Amino acid sequence: MSGINVTIDEKNCVANSGETILSVAKRYDIEIPTLCFHPSVSVYGACGICLVEVEGNKKLLRACATEVWEGMKVHTKSERAEKARKLALELLFSDHTGDCLPPCMNACPAHTHCQGYVGLIADGEYDAALALIKEQIPLPASIGRVCPHPCESACRRKLAEEAISIAALKSFAADWDLGREESYLPEKQPPTGKRVAIVGAGPAGLTMAYYLAIKGHSADIYEAMPQAGGMLRYGIPEYRLPKAVLDREIALIEKLGVKIRCNVKIGKDIAFESLEKEYDAVYLAIGAWQSAPLRCEGEQAEGVLGGIDFLRRAVQDQPTSMGRRVAVIGGGNTAMDACRTAIRLGAEKVYVLYRRTRSEMPAEDIEIVEAMEEGVEFKFLVAPIRILTENGHVAGIELQQMELGEPDDSGRRRPVPVEGKTETLALDTVIAAIGQKVVAEGLPVKLTDWNTIAADAHTYLTDRKGVFAGGDGINRGPGIAVESIGHARECADIIDSYLNGDLIPRTEQYLVKRDDLTAADFADREKLPRVRRNVIPPEIRRTNFEEVASTITEEQAKAEAARCLECGCADYGECDLIKYGQRFDVRPDRFGAEPHRRNGADDMVNVHHNPDKCVLCGLCVRYSDEHGDGSLGLIGRGFDTQVRPDYSLSKPEDHLEELKGCAEICPTGALIEKTTGKKVNTVMRRQFVK
Amino acid sequence: MRFTVGMGSCGIAAGAQKTLDALKKALGERSSDIPVGQVGCIGMCFNEPIVEVITDTEHYYYSKVNEEMAEEIVASHLKDGLPAESYLIPEEDMDFLKKQTRVALRNCGVIDPEKIESYRERGGYEAITKVLKTMSPAEVVGEVKISGLRGRGGAGFPTWFKWDAAAKSEGDEKYVICNADEGDPGAFMDRSLLEGDPHAVMEGMMIAAYAIGAAKGVFYVRAEYPLAIKRLEKAIKQARTAGFLGEHILGTDFSFDLEIKAGAGAFVCGEETALIASLEGERGMPRLKPPFPAQKGYWQKPSNINNVETYGNIPWIFREGGEAFAAMGTENSKGTKVFALAGKVKRGGLAEVPMGMTIREIIYDIGGGIKDDKALKGVQMGGPSGGCIPERLIDTPVDYENITAAGAIMGSGGMIVMDETTCMVDMARFFMDFTQKESCGKCVHCRIGTKRMLEILDRIVNGEGRDGDIELLEELGRGIIDGSLCGLGQSAPNPALSTIAQFREEYDAHIRDKKCPAHKCKPLLTYAIDPEKCTGCNACAKKCPAEAIHGEKKKPHEIDAAFCVKCGSCESACRFGAVLVD
Repeated sequence: MSGINVTIDEKNCVANSGETILSVAKRYDIEIPTLCFHPSVSVYGACGICLVEVEGNKKLLRACATEVWEGMKVHTKSERAEKARKLALELLFSDHTGDCLPPCMNACPAHTHCQGYVGLIADGEYDAALALIKEQIPLPASIGRVCPHPCESACRRKLAEEAISIAALKSFAADWDLGREESYLPEKQPPTGKRVAIVGAGPAGLTMAYYLAIKGHSADIYEAMPQAGGMLRYGIPEYRLPKAVLDREIALIEKLGVKIRCNVKIGKDIAFESLEKEYDAVYLAIGAWQSAPLRCEGEQAEGVLGGIDFLRRAVQDQPTSMGRRVAVIGGGNTAMDACRTAIRLGAEKVYVLYRRTRSEMPAEDIEIVEAMEEGVEFKFLVAPIRILTENGHVAGIELQQMELGEPDDSGRRRPVPVEGKTETLALDTVIAAIGQKVVAEGLPVKLTDWNTIAADAHTYLTDRKGVFAGGDGINRGPGIAVESIGHARECADIIDSYLNGDLIPRTEQYLVKRDDLTAADFADREKLPRVRRNVIPPEIRRTNFEEVASTITEEQAKAEAARCLECGCADYGECDLIKYGQRFDVRPDRFGAEPHRRNGADDMVNVHHNPDKCVLCGLCVRYSDEHGDGSLGLIGRGFDTQVRPDYSLSKPEDHLEELKGCAEICPTGALIEKTTGKKVNTVMRRQFVK
Repeated sequence: MRFTVGMGSCGIAAGAQKTLDALKKALGERSSDIPVGQVGCIGMCFNEPIVEVITDTEHYYYSKVNEEMAEEIVASHLKDGLPAESYLIPEEDMDFLKKQTRVALRNCGVIDPEKIESYRERGGYEAITKVLKTMSPAEVVGEVKISGLRGRGGAGFPTWFKWDAAAKSEGDEKYVICNADEGDPGAFMDRSLLEGDPHAVMEGMMIAAYAIGAAKGVFYVRAEYPLAIKRLEKAIKQARTAGFLGEHILGTDFSFDLEIKAGAGAFVCGEETALIASLEGERGMPRLKPPFPAQKGYWQKPSNINNVETYGNIPWIFREGGEAFAAMGTENSKGTKVFALAGKVKRGGLAEVPMGMTIREIIYDIGGGIKDDKALKGVQMGGPSGGCIPERLIDTPVDYENITAAGAIMGSGGMIVMDETTCMVDMARFFMDFTQKESCGKCVHCRIGTKRMLEILDRIVNGEGRDGDIELLEELGRGIIDGSLCGLGQSAPNPALSTIAQFREEYDAHIRDKKCPAHKCKPLLTYAIDPEKCTGCNACAKKCPAEAIHGEKKKPHEIDAAFCVKCGSCESACRFGAVLVD
């Protein structure tokens, strides 16, 4: 039989008679996107994603349904076809409600797979949970203890009662791993022979080293301080993060082959240029090591200390020069660390002075509560006017009474002075914990107006070839540790691509997110309060640097993890819709569509049905018709059409195989086979667990 | 002498049954020799109920005849032998009929649709007799080809081509289907024809069946047309009795019978593949073409589907000859076309004119011009699938090509006249609302795209239009046309796209200036009182449901915009024209 000659995207193809464009293209490795076609069921032609342009035809044709003819010239990627395809995708997304990824993961600056590892912990698979965490975070035991956990702030379980204790679960899994004889070490790829110098052994530098090592590159870290860990070691008090935990996590990174050279300052002990010469790439993770000044009279007096300087000295068991009466200025976590450290170092009176009220404090609530329990006195709505001195030493502070005015750019109400109302406090020490500054002078890279290292937002490249930068030391300056880790994790992939000769910048991928849920949507949930860590009583803990909170037990962890609502789509990773959506960089928001709330998801025995994610491709209906008893059908018309089961002829239990097949053929997360007794389903497992 | 009463759905709705009863009562004993008959709709809907008195020499038409008038009319004719002059349809209204050329509608309003004899008196069933006795199927197709008849349902596909394809398709079982799923808002030509002359449509189907080799025919009539269904049922029964349906019709080898299926009224079922799906008991959703119905249609058998009006023309063509039909109309659009004239026109109704007549002639000569002598703004042709032809193009001759070139489509013949008080954005919104609701939901572009277009049009008429909305409508419109499987989706954006093309400044005014130039979109209106004209009579304030108008007696009043609900009561209450609307 002689074939039919067609060209598809300029490629000569020989087709069989009766063959469709889609089928021929597939044989010739030309991908034509489609959502509603599947070889096991009849052609339907609904999705409009496979539209192609055929020369001589005024209309676009559906590749799934159009049989080829001799001499046909097909263009699958013509501007018009791509436009129609993209529009169809954007329309689908404009009517698609759900969360591709869970809110916790979206909120995490390191994009940690929270839902995944929480689910695995619930399933009792701690090794898989730990491995999954380490896909993003190489220091989970440490981060689990210190992270202000944006994931928990975003946790949707809050709408039911309280957020999942994601951070506690992370340190549970990490501690479990550290307690094993053989802690988890990822598999390393074969050595590439490429070498990268990393400046700074803080969260960013260590993260970079860890992921480069996995990729087979050799990573050397140069650290100015005597030990690795950066701010995790020198900025976080022992009672929050025991350094033995940090040491063990760093040791695992070293076990991967990472070399850490401490007490080496670049620009002093080793010239920056020699790094550039010796290595294939350089990563600057220098952190932010200077306390921000108070900018008030008397600041130069003896007894005025920087918050992070104070903490660093305390960690190193160096004299802090702290007196009996101490005031910490600031409302963030560093201020809390400083005041609680001061208590433990024996201060008789410790104040925290904050210019707004408690509800505006950036510090974590638990830190504030615990500081109060330990005897710290909080004075709100006060701002320092001047530091009073005697013989060049702090003797007190004059404070301006403040009140809250109009909201500022951050949305918090701006403190404004109350005319004529001041007070003074007698003090020996003032600790300024109002921020950190980057000290990047001396490095031959371009700096920003804030004296931070200028790094490209998409590549983390500085103005020097092959020199990348991340962590607290770049652009907008210091943030939280997990943010530095996130930077470094992303940048590790970029440096890897750079070392492979083709630098691939990071891209923002389209994701479906929803923000329309309220407490009413979870009203029927059983109320299950979140786990509380065991905490040493204040009168005991204020006297020493023992870790205040203990790791939760296995029993607690499992119960806590089981509370997870599993907001992220169980089909993400295998969903055709989001795959195409990301490829075509869709922007469905531009339609300004009104929300489409459909009535009721229904459970089909062994399959969960979510009509908000259905694209009405008809695959399940055809599958059920052609391979089953036709128990699925379409009801309603037009925009309100829905897939619905009809068991009028038999019992739902008689359709398990048919429904399972329907779930398998569903291109999105609209039909998902239920997992029995497990949180993490097969699709997520394929995606997350290697 | 005899009397007839227009007893189409329109006449009955206007009270024709009472009129008919009153006529019979008034005639009393004379009804034995002076018959009172029913006829279908003659097309002058604005004059219903219509009574026609036919004497040996004259036809007298009476308009809007109620029971009392019926008595007077009978009395006048019986006593004086003279018409009741004051109730006669005015001479200028008769222009509505005089300017028409009635081929498909030739019997409508003339014969009694429930009597086969009445049809036969007017040459009924002569065509099928001639065809069966003297022509081969191929010659039948040839004659239709000579006539140049094109499908009257909307797309204007050559009828002979469909017949030929179905005739040439292999298969011992074939079907002819009559598409009577008339769904365009404001279109009622198919209903009128089925109610007024059912036998003609049936005869047309018989001829088609003979041509393609089908033995079965199906009427797909929307269930909302109960009278049409009832009359068809009667007509089918009568035709069977008379030997025009059944085995060996007129002693030939040709056997044919008809059945009726009532459709549930989904607009998309007017699309032929969706119609077939519905006939087969499936969900009314379009199927992929090819295969075309002529190859694999009803139950996968070769099928010919034509619209009511198309079949209605067939008997005439075979009686008078294809050439006679082709002598009317324009080069590529032969014969006549029935239009449903509606909207802001003085005389609305059904009008059949030769192709090539201008829109102006139809509106002014037949329709009598614009209501209240306002200014014509445009004409929406082709219903929700069509487009808007602006006033400056109303000298366009109506034929398939010229109407398309003017930015609309012939469609099934809906012609909605719009004057200066019609807001074009609101009009586009109305049709988009219709098609969006009628989308079957299969194709993504149509299902979601029409919804998005409707949302955008909604926000524009509500004064919440955004910069870029017009471009978004255009992009969506083009995309929906490109991405939809069937005619519904492929034409749904037309009203929006054509009004944007012709009246873009109205869209701009809504979006940019937050004004509706036609003063139609309430959220965009502001009401104020002209202190110069206001006499302080307080009439407006009394009518205001929101108590938004205040003022001392005999002093100029004011409207409080914060309370005004923009109902317009003040404007109609004011006798001095002092209420200003902008």
